[in-house]
Amino acid sequence: MDQPDPTIHQTVRLKIMAALKALPAGEAIEFMRLKALVAATEGNLGAHIGTLENAGYVDVEKDFVGKRPRTRLCLTKTGRRALEDYVGYLREIVDAPQSN
Amino acid sequence: MPLNPSEAADALRDIARTERRSSSAYGYRLASPHLILWGVVWAAGYGAMSVDPKWSVFWPALSLAGVAGSFLIGWRMRSAGNAAFEWRYAATLVAVFVFIAAIFAIMPPKNDLQISAFFPLLTALLYALVGIWTRGLRMLVAGFAIAALTVAGYFCFPTHFLPWMAVVGGGGLILGGIWLRSV
Repeated sequence: MDQPDPTIHQTVRLKIMAALKALPAGEAIEFMRLKALVAATEGNLGAHIGTLENAGYVDVEKDFVGKRPRTRLCLTKTGRRALEDYVGYLREIVDAPQSN
Repeated sequence: MPLNPSEAADALRDIARTERRSSSAYGYRLASPHLILWGVVWAAGYGAMSVDPKWSVFWPALSLAGVAGSFLIGWRMRSAGNAAFEWRYAATLVAVFVFIAAIFAIMPPKNDLQISAFFPLLTALLYALVGIWTRGLRMLVAGFAIAALTVAGYFCFPTHFLPWMAVVGGGGLILGGIWLRSV
């Protein structure tokens, strides 16, 4: 990878992806729990989730628990692969011999 | 814009930190209902014994109800990712029961107070070990708190140890479960 994936190459989106990757495959997390984990505001988090969803990196499920709306997210296979590629890209930079 | 090595290292640390927090929070979410359930079991069992020590006969039934409830919770929370949880949970319970049977056969407790303190201490050890191995600080704190309260009750308030365990032990587990859920 010569250039970083622009979808993931953003602090909040990177944290969202990392938080989702730590869950077992197919396991979803509720929006409010994710908000606490990445320390973002609701509006900011919602916008970044939209970007990741449009890229096909996360699945967003909306339903109701009783009368309370619930939004849950999980990482797609594409998203998991994209994050692994991005981590590989970061490791290449860190491990590359330094020229002074 | 390409990153320099320092920025890349920072990003890798950020990823690792977030993954660790997310993984811990997921573990807490799984553990929380079990703590609350066993808190209720302890409160009921020790509470009944506080009223009349003869009511210790309810402990086997209460323990079985707790195990059944834990299986039900595990079954309801199962997913593709933690499908292996149920058999591991069952195997852990079997290992613990065999261990307890062996310990009691070799070193039989001399009185009810010792038995009443043994199970909370064993539970505390299990929580502390889970906390250490999963880097779950809250599990570790819960384990140490249960152990400290049990030892304090045993040595400082032996005549009120049973109600102490009903209120402080059972209540502590319930509060611990709620605390884990809040992450």
